[in-house]
Amino acid sequence: MVDFLRDFIKVLRASDVRISTSETIDAMNVASVVGLEDKILLKESLSQSLAKSLREKEIFEECYENFFKESYMNFSSPDDKKDDKFNDANKDIDSELDQDIFSGEEDLESMYNDSDRTALMSSMALASREVGLSQIRLFTQTGMFTRKIFEFMGLEKLNNDIFQASREENLERENDLKELRERIRLEIRDYVEQQVKLRTSQSGRQLREEALSQVRLSQVDRSDLAIMINIVRKMAKRLVSLHSRRKKKANRGQLDVRSTLRANQEYDGLLFETVWKKTKVNRPKVITLCDVSGSVANVARFFLMFLYSLSEVLPHIRTFAFSNKAGEVTDLFETKDIEEASAETLLLYGGGSTDYGQALIDLEGFIETDIDKKTTLIILGDARSNFGDPRTDILKSLQEKSKRVIFLNPEPKGLWGTGDSEMKRFLPYCGKARYCSSLKDLERVVDDLLRMAF
Amino acid sequence: MAKAKLSSTNKSKESIEEIQANFEREGYICNSHIATAIYLSQTLEKPILVEGPPGVGKTELAKATSTWMKKPLIRLQCYEGLDEAKALYEWKYGKQLLYTQVLKDKLNDIISDTSGLEESLESLHDFDDIFFSEKFLEPRPLLKAISSNEGSVLLIDEIDKSDDEFEAFLLEILSDYQVSVPEIGTISGKVKPVVFLTSNNTREIGDALKRRCLHLYIPFPDSTLEEKIIISRVPELDKKLRKHLVSFVQNLRELDLKKVPSVSETIDWGKSLVLLNIKTLDPVIVRETLNILLKFQSDIDTADSEIEALVRVSLNETK
Repeated sequence: MVDFLRDFIKVLRASDVRISTSETIDAMNVASVVGLEDKILLKESLSQSLAKSLREKEIFEECYENFFKESYMNFSSPDDKKDDKFNDANKDIDSELDQDIFSGEEDLESMYNDSDRTALMSSMALASREVGLSQIRLFTQTGMFTRKIFEFMGLEKLNNDIFQASREENLERENDLKELRERIRLEIRDYVEQQVKLRTSQSGRQLREEALSQVRLSQVDRSDLAIMINIVRKMAKRLVSLHSRRKKKANRGQLDVRSTLRANQEYDGLLFETVWKKTKVNRPKVITLCDVSGSVANVARFFLMFLYSLSEVLPHIRTFAFSNKAGEVTDLFETKDIEEASAETLLLYGGGSTDYGQALIDLEGFIETDIDKKTTLIILGDARSNFGDPRTDILKSLQEKSKRVIFLNPEPKGLWGTGDSEMKRFLPYCGKARYCSSLKDLERVVDDLLRMAF
Repeated sequence: MAKAKLSSTNKSKESIEEIQANFEREGYICNSHIATAIYLSQTLEKPILVEGPPGVGKTELAKATSTWMKKPLIRLQCYEGLDEAKALYEWKYGKQLLYTQVLKDKLNDIISDTSGLEESLESLHDFDDIFFSEKFLEPRPLLKAISSNEGSVLLIDEIDKSDDEFEAFLLEILSDYQVSVPEIGTISGKVKPVVFLTSNNTREIGDALKRRCLHLYIPFPDSTLEEKIIISRVPELDKKLRKHLVSFVQNLRELDLKKVPSVSETIDWGKSLVLLNIKTLDPVIVRETLNILLKFQSDIDTADSEIEALVRVSLNETK
């Protein structure tokens, strides 16, 4: 039982469910309390001790089904003999690890011919444990592991037998044995492939996530969108936990003498309780203006996704999108799913030919009353205005009214100011201008934003 | 070995069914999932973290457990700024002050028969211990639950509303079921309390806390379960109407709403239909009473155009 649980937990971990040692112990306790007979009961109980959020419960469900569908050890089969056999095999390995058990001792041939599948299976399970099959990470390792397991199960003896048979010119036996070897090899290969599927389906994704977070956002393929959204969520969660703590620290103030005296009146004026002055935390007020035309659209989409995933620490965001004219899309993002909202934004405002001048005029009209010294204005775009007047004078006045202006440009610095790029003319009015094209860049920018805010 | 396993499974299945039946008697209808969680938490002596959308009966679960086990329910409602003094214990400062005054008068008597400063200090030292004894301790919910000798049901409600610090402070209590008061020592009761934590997921609960708990997720019930709940809570409701009502709410949940109607709102709706003496569901009635189910104007607007269709569907479905 210990074995099967350990294996199952490994599979869960590979699927991105975080399980600690103490939870493993819990799971063991749970399994010993409810027993292994009733699969549904076991599933419910294990799910309560291992999967600790709705998302994890869904993954758990899936893994449980797969694991037991494909599992080699049908531990809870009503067939007692099978069960005992498996347990015996376990006992062996636990008690006599140092002895050379099984390998070659049990006759593969007789095992197969007696159609004693259980023995074959448990021998296979044992062998795969010995060679560390659970470490398998890539499908290219299948062949190697198949070979290793086969060797452990007694390939050498089988080969010897074949060799002997051929020397004795016992053709029939030789062919039989060869066929047997092939069958067992196939069997092992199937088994290994199952294991690969079970264990690597997720670890490949982890690699991919790592790579995707650094790739240029304008190059992201549609098929990777789901993964990207996931990464954004993870990054946002990290930032939230980082910055919600900092907020607490900033919240501590000086001794509030008046309230302290009042609070301690009931103790005869002796000061038992202290009341502290609360420093007012300046929640950052963020206004974003996003270019949603062509090349910048993808970056804008992820940037907005990022900001709106941070609603816990960034409660006041107003968002404007533009290509040739600007409009407010805050409502869209607040009421709808992020993906849906960004798609709709693109539909509403994307597609026009970019005009920064018009966009800034529109923006000023929208936020005139709202902008103040606490506001951070973030402009996201490539600053390519199709040779229209960029109206830097408006940006200047916005900069004077706000706390600061940040310009995020998905083009590398070398391209700023070339062609119809007005970046060089915007630069004097931006407190900060950044090259920003991958998720990693975005994370850095947002982190910076939050850091300044508190 | 196999036989031993078999019996343990059967035993736990029996106990789980028994728990379910007991809950039913208390008017709390639940599926095997919830009963399993209760059973496990009792046998493993672990707290249960209950999550789920608001109004599916997370708090009710703790209440039902307490009435069924005949143990007092001790409830701690969490909020921002909740601290040790309000959750665990507090010294009775006023009483301590009063006693200081008394001691002042008696001071001469105490040190009169001592010779020298050292000896009088020595006899004064004994009074320290009196001031910081359990007599001067004001127990708050957590201490009450833990020090109780008969056992209790402790409900820590909406843990997600509390601060990170409070969550960290709960860790010691939940893993060891004991409280250390520096001046007295550790306090623990004979019977460990049954602990429920509920969360609406307004904020992610820390991993450390999650690790120490069993995790139970209560989703919205399916129509059969919801119907059973309505039977137990609003027995006066006509059978046919009940079926329509449940199916209507179930379909309503499918709509794109800001806040979907919860079980408690279904119950309220059922009660008000009984009060209004209504026998069949029709769009006019639904429209008039929709504000019991939906709590946002935008939701009501969304549902408004669908009402005719929804009523028709629910009438047809349950024919």
